[in-house]
Amino acid sequence: MSALEQPQFSEARKAEIARLVTRYPGAQSALLPVLHMAQEDFGYLSMETQKLVAETLGVRLMAVREVVTFYTMFREQPTGQYLLEVCTNAGCMLNGADELVAHMCDALGIKVGETTPDGMFTVTEVECAGACGGAPVVQVNNVYHEKATPASMDELIAKARSEGGAA
Amino acid sequence: MTTLYINEEEITVSAGTSILEACRSHGVDVPYFCYHPELSVAANCRMCLVEVEGWNKPAASCCTPVAEGMKIHTQTEAIKKDRQMVMEYLLINHPLDCPVCDEGGDCRLQDYAVAHGASHSRYVEAKRAATNHDLGPFVTTYMTRCIHCTRCVRFADEVAGTGDMGILNRSDHMSIAGIVEEACESELSGNLADICPVGALLDKPSHDVSRPWEMTHHQSTCTQCPNGCDINIESRGDEVMRIKPVEGSPEPWLCDRGRYVYDAFRSDNRILEPEVRQDGELLQATWDEAFDRAGDLLRGKRVGIIFSPYWSAEGLASIRLMRDAVFPDAKVAFDLHRRDMRPFAFEEGFSMTTQQIEDVEHVVILGSDLRQRLPLLMQRLRKRGNMGKPVSRIGAMNYRTNMSISSDAIIRPRDWPAVIARAMQQVSDLGQTAAGMDTWLAAVPDRHEAGKVLADSLMGETCALLVGEEIRSHVDAAALIHGLDLLMRACGHAEEGNDGRNLIPEGMNAQLLASAFGDIRTSAGDLFASASAGELDALVLIGSDPVGDGLFPSAAKAALSKVPLIQIGAIAGEIGNSAEVQLPAAAYSEVDGTFINMEGRIRVARQPIRSIGQARPLWKVMMRLAQALGADVPAVDMTELRDRMAAFAPELADVWKDKATEEVLVPVARNRDAEALPARLDSSFDLDVVSRYSMYREGMWARASDLLLAAGKLHALNDVIMHPETLAAKGLKEGEHTVRTFLGEHSCHIGVREDVSPGVLFVAKRGVAGDLSDVTAASIVGGQS
Repeated sequence: MSALEQPQFSEARKAEIARLVTRYPGAQSALLPVLHMAQEDFGYLSMETQKLVAETLGVRLMAVREVVTFYTMFREQPTGQYLLEVCTNAGCMLNGADELVAHMCDALGIKVGETTPDGMFTVTEVECAGACGGAPVVQVNNVYHEKATPASMDELIAKARSEGGAA
Repeated sequence: MTTLYINEEEITVSAGTSILEACRSHGVDVPYFCYHPELSVAANCRMCLVEVEGWNKPAASCCTPVAEGMKIHTQTEAIKKDRQMVMEYLLINHPLDCPVCDEGGDCRLQDYAVAHGASHSRYVEAKRAATNHDLGPFVTTYMTRCIHCTRCVRFADEVAGTGDMGILNRSDHMSIAGIVEEACESELSGNLADICPVGALLDKPSHDVSRPWEMTHHQSTCTQCPNGCDINIESRGDEVMRIKPVEGSPEPWLCDRGRYVYDAFRSDNRILEPEVRQDGELLQATWDEAFDRAGDLLRGKRVGIIFSPYWSAEGLASIRLMRDAVFPDAKVAFDLHRRDMRPFAFEEGFSMTTQQIEDVEHVVILGSDLRQRLPLLMQRLRKRGNMGKPVSRIGAMNYRTNMSISSDAIIRPRDWPAVIARAMQQVSDLGQTAAGMDTWLAAVPDRHEAGKVLADSLMGETCALLVGEEIRSHVDAAALIHGLDLLMRACGHAEEGNDGRNLIPEGMNAQLLASAFGDIRTSAGDLFASASAGELDALVLIGSDPVGDGLFPSAAKAALSKVPLIQIGAIAGEIGNSAEVQLPAAAYSEVDGTFINMEGRIRVARQPIRSIGQARPLWKVMMRLAQALGADVPAVDMTELRDRMAAFAPELADVWKDKATEEVLVPVARNRDAEALPARLDSSFDLDVVSRYSMYREGMWARASDLLLAAGKLHALNDVIMHPETLAAKGLKEGEHTVRTFLGEHSCHIGVREDVSPGVLFVAKRGVAGDLSDVTAASIVGGQS
């Protein structure tokens, strides 16, 4: 979806949202799941998308803005095709997460929070991903890569590149 | 009722009261920031902590309800220490820049830091930076000073109804923000600076100009709309610096119009000296010279008098006394929006208080842009809406209200008889009727479905009918109001103690105007017509501007080109260019006087600001004019004037004697036998013209205030607007068109809006569109009809 395009939920999504709303005391309570759906559909939550969510649920735009800015898992900026979220919380940090982040940034030539110019990769640091047993952990889109090492990350990046972005 | 003990003292409060409210009502001081009596409870500042015996931790008193036998301590050592810690926490990121902050000297944070805080801070780390926001023309922001009490957020949600403020981000990055790049779109935005307990949101127009301790406070009444709010005028010397609401008065807020009109008090447009026109130019003169000249123009002449309802009751009474003494045949006009001068079944004014309107079962607004007309009554209706109580509306436009209207309909003004008839039909089908209703119903052949909205809202036990300017200024207003009166009688809403008939008046003092001028009033339009026809020799305008306001600007211009104008008032305005003589009269902030609002509530202002220039209270100017014209002076001092006034409104005499003004309400005039049947209105024009009211532009005072004019431009709509389908039906689009009326042809830009009733031409009162205010119907030249 291009940024200029007005985002619209598909008919199936609309039906899903309508069903979802009935499970809560009020439409505003469905805000979190609907925002997750919107992020899944549109990649990130642009102001236009936030307006769409506000209209869909009949809540004030400000109420949507408050929730979106409060939770770090909602993104207001577009990311690369592969979102590499490295946990740098205590367990992962002790197992080399900082070095891992530094290596990945070097390899991709970007800083934490940035996206590669080709729009393929974004590297971010996140708080505890809840997989300390496999520290350090890198979440790639929705998939966990446990006991990640610089080498395994290089491999992952190379594989992604060779697949030409087909995730 | 619940009995509890605060600091060993036994008190009784109603069940469900919070500890903080119990303390406040019994004079026990508990500090707080986020609590506000008019807003919901957020409990996020933690400043109001108190100790409850038997509880193992302090309680936030604003959100803890009282319980039977509860023992509360507000001054224990532990609580003092808690407050000190809360203060230290709140001040961590605060810049402590009190010496350069406007709030300094009138700041809760500053006061509490002294009273409850430690003398020094242990915090040495870097302070947080924050971004300032654009919150419109009246609020400036210093967000580093913010303590996140969220009062402004709750105000925007609950009172203004705009919901355009919120808290973004979290933890250390948390910040109060408006919607990106949109100014706070509220007619109540000036209150944000008042409710901010710190210096984060400040009053923009008075920013960096004065300090709170330099101010002298004068309690007065705002005369900018019929609501007549209590105001606290803050002045430095003779200059008004700010206007604020009065704590404990019926309206806790003030609208931007009432608040920022003070700019006009010192505008270049004030008439400060008597002036006389010589060789085409207005030149300063002495009072004697000016009265001599006025005498020459007026002595023995046929005179028409037009005045504004916004003068104090004393000023209005003096106009009547002057007129009786020197122009016993003169007709007067004071309502620039009334075309139909037949007596109304219920005259201008409210039979309910605004509190009763807030509490009543159903409210129905007929033809009024209430948010612009009566912003604080609109705010009360919004409060009703928040509690789920219904508000219905019928009008020529879905006026913006910032609340959800429960049922509404848009109609053309010519549909009003059919709307009322439809409602009557429904009511009488249910077996409810009133004497005369059948005759009224029989006079109207059509029925309009919008009447269902009206009839449905009348079905409950109580109903407040708010009749607005679209009906009051209708050519057949008396018939419509008679119809509404019958409807209200049929439904039992017109009885003593349950009277829901409210007609929104033109301005203040409506009840006094009806009793004091009822026998000599005429339509301003008729006065101008007689002047143009050579039946009058001069016009006296007292604080009124019929060219800038009202429905007769073209007629007024025509009249003023024929006869000389004597202008008496505080603001010259555009009309001052035609005046032969100008006499300065004091502004409402500068007089000792009595004011009556639409509810009939009486307020006496007793601490006026000294008037600037040579302005004198209107009653003195009137008496002097009577003297200059060779009459005996009707009243030589205020006591005598007030004695004479009691003839018009006996309630006022009691007020001046006892000084008790809260219980006495001046009743609204009723004309039980004012029966009028709707006339067939045949018009060769296919469009109804409705003139739009803007709180930022209407009235001489508002137009003399640069602050209000600038704010009015922000959200102004097109001067002339129509429904897109009405234009499309003629094969036309938005753009330049020629409008034909009985005045001739006008070329103007016509904009489109979906929320306007089809078949209506909405005009703003300015420019070419202003000239269209004179007409009730129009057609567009070109296209297919």
